[in-house]
Amino acid sequence: MKGKVIKYAKDNIDTDVIIPGQYLKIHDYKELASHAMEGLDPDFHSKVNEGDFILSGKNFGCGSSREHAPIALSNSGIKAVLALSFARIFYRNSVDGAFLLPIEIDEKTYQNISEGDELEIDIKSNTIQNITQNKTYPMKPFSEIIRKIIESGGLFNYDLD
Amino acid sequence: MGKTLFEKIWDSHIVAGKEQGPSLIYVDRHLVHEVTSPQAFDGLRLNNRKVRRPDLTIATMDHNVPTNDRSLPILDQTSAIQIETLKKNCRDFGIKLFDINSPNQGIVHVIGPQLGITLPGTTIVCGDSHTSTHGAFGALAFGIGTSEVEHVLASQTIWLEKPKSFEIKVMGKRKNPHAVTAKDIILSIIKNIGTAGGTGTVVEYSGEGVKDLSMEQRMTICNMSIEGGARAGLIAPDEKTFDYLRNRKYTPKNYESLVDYWKKNLKTDPDAKFDKTFTLSIDNIAPQVSWGTNPGMTCDVSDSIPTPQDFSKGDKNQEKAAEKALEYMDLKSGTPITEITIDRVFIGSCTNARLDDLIEASKVINGQKVSENVRAMVVPGSQMVKKQAEEMGIDKIFTKANFEWRESGCSMCLGMNPDILSPGERCASTSNRNFEGRQGTGGRTHLVSPVMAAAAAIEGHFVDVRKINLN
Repeated sequence: MKGKVIKYAKDNIDTDVIIPGQYLKIHDYKELASHAMEGLDPDFHSKVNEGDFILSGKNFGCGSSREHAPIALSNSGIKAVLALSFARIFYRNSVDGAFLLPIEIDEKTYQNISEGDELEIDIKSNTIQNITQNKTYPMKPFSEIIRKIIESGGLFNYDLD
Repeated sequence: MGKTLFEKIWDSHIVAGKEQGPSLIYVDRHLVHEVTSPQAFDGLRLNNRKVRRPDLTIATMDHNVPTNDRSLPILDQTSAIQIETLKKNCRDFGIKLFDINSPNQGIVHVIGPQLGITLPGTTIVCGDSHTSTHGAFGALAFGIGTSEVEHVLASQTIWLEKPKSFEIKVMGKRKNPHAVTAKDIILSIIKNIGTAGGTGTVVEYSGEGVKDLSMEQRMTICNMSIEGGARAGLIAPDEKTFDYLRNRKYTPKNYESLVDYWKKNLKTDPDAKFDKTFTLSIDNIAPQVSWGTNPGMTCDVSDSIPTPQDFSKGDKNQEKAAEKALEYMDLKSGTPITEITIDRVFIGSCTNARLDDLIEASKVINGQKVSENVRAMVVPGSQMVKKQAEEMGIDKIFTKANFEWRESGCSMCLGMNPDILSPGERCASTSNRNFEGRQGTGGRTHLVSPVMAAAAAIEGHFVDVRKINLN
C-alpha cells in the first residue's frame, strides 16, 4: 500500500471535526466525503488524493461513535491513518467496515515523517517504508482480532477459527 | 485473586472466545436511534437477515428531532427522512419504538433508566458514545459504531478484546453539594487524567464521593467517561440503584429476587486488582468551567485562563493545542473566568437534563431574569422529565425568567438539529463536548454544570455559584 502523507501535527482530532454533526444525515458516501475534515481543514477535500495517508498525534478519532468518520475519510481516498494512538470506537469502526487501516506508530516515526512524504505500508512485516526519505520505521502490530477482521475484509466476513 | 465488577459482568457474558484472545460477548440491551442505525438495517436487508432479539432492542429518535412545537412538521428534509426511516425499520423488524410523539420519547440515555430498561449487571450497547451513562447502574455499557450495530442486530453479540480495568476513587465530601456538582467532579477527573487517560479501559468509580451521589448525578459521572477516553464507566449498584429502578414501566416482574442476586454478586472483590488507579479528593474542589476545545481544558471558576505553557506542563503538542484553542475560543490567558461574557445558555443533553439537574438549576433563578444579552434554553432530557418538571412547576420558574422551555431531544449538544450556535457565539452549556464546531460551525462552548449555566444566564457572565444561596 503506497501513498502520500497529509500531516496534522496535533493530538485529539475528534470525530466532530472529521465529519461535523450537520452532515450525519447524508447517506451518500461520496457526498459525505466532500465534507471530510471540514471542521479542521477546509482545504482537505481539494488536496487529498486516492491512496493518501493521514498522519497525526495522540487519541485520533476521539468523541462521537459516528462511523461516518472513517467512511468520510475512506471515501475521500484515505487508505490509512497513522497516529500515536487512537480512540477505541474510531479504531474499531475503521476496520469493521474495511474503511481504512488505523496504524499506531511511535513518537520518533511521527516526528520523522513530513507532509508530502511517500510511504509504503506493509502490514505483513509491520513496517513503513519512507520512499521520499529512504528510511524504514516499525508499526505496532495489530492484535489478533483486528488482524483477522482486516484480513477477512470486515467484521461480517470474520469468523472465529 | 478476586475479580472486579467489570470482570464479573464480562465473564458472565462470554459466548465464545479464547482465554487471551477476543471474546464474543452477549448483549442484553440494544438501544437504537435514528442517526447511527439506517445503514445497519440496510445491511440486514441486503443479507436477508432478521433482528435476532427484537424483544431486547429498543429505539427512539433523539439526535435530529426539533425541540420546538411537536405539532409542527419537521422542516429539515434530511432529518425528516432519517426519522421516517427509523419508523419504517422498527416496523419492518418488529422493534419497540418510542416515537417522536410518545410520552416516553427522549434522549436514549435518559429514557433507558427511566423506563427500567437499564439494569445492573447487564451489557448494554448503542450506536452512541455516551452509552457509558448506563454504567451508573452497574451495567457494562458502551458505544459502538454502525457496523457493530448491524452485528448486534443480527446476532445479539459483539466481538471485543477485553478492556483493562481502571479504578477512579472519589474521596471526601463536597462542602457545598448544591454548588459543586457531579459535573464538577467528572470535569475535575478529566482535567487530571486527560482526554486519553482512560483509553482502552473500563472505569469503576468508587469511594464515598460516589456513594453520596444520587442516581441522576452518578449518570452524569459515567456519561463523561468517554471524554476521559474510557470505553465505559461503571458504579457498583447499591440501595439507591435498586430503589431507582423499582416499579418502572419495564422493571422485571421478578425484581426483588434480582435485587438479592445483584446484592451478592455485583461488587468488586476486596482482593481484586485494577490495572490502573487514580484518586480524586473532592473536599475542596470548585465549580469547573472549560475554556478550550476539549474537555480536559478546564479550570476552576475562581481561576483565570492559564497560559498555554502552564497548561501544557512541557508537552509541546499540548502547548500548541492550547494556543490554537484560545484563538478559536477568542480568549486570552490571564482573563478571570468570571469576566467571560456569554451569548447563549444550553441546559440539556444526556449529561445534564434529568429532573435533579433542572431542579438544581431552577434554584439559582430566585425571581431574577435572564440577562438581556443572553438567549437561554432548557431542554428536558425526555418527555417524562418534562412532565415531572411541569407537575412541580419548574417550567414556570424558567419561563418566568425568560428561559425557553423545550421539547426533549439532544438539541444543542451536537449541532445536527435546528438548535445550533451561530459562528462566534459563546455558550455556557451543560453538555459533554466543547470540540470546535460541536454546537454549530464557529460556535464556542464552555462546559459547566446546570447551576453554573443558570447563574451565567442570569448574570450574562460566569459566576462562582458557591457565593449564591442554593438551599
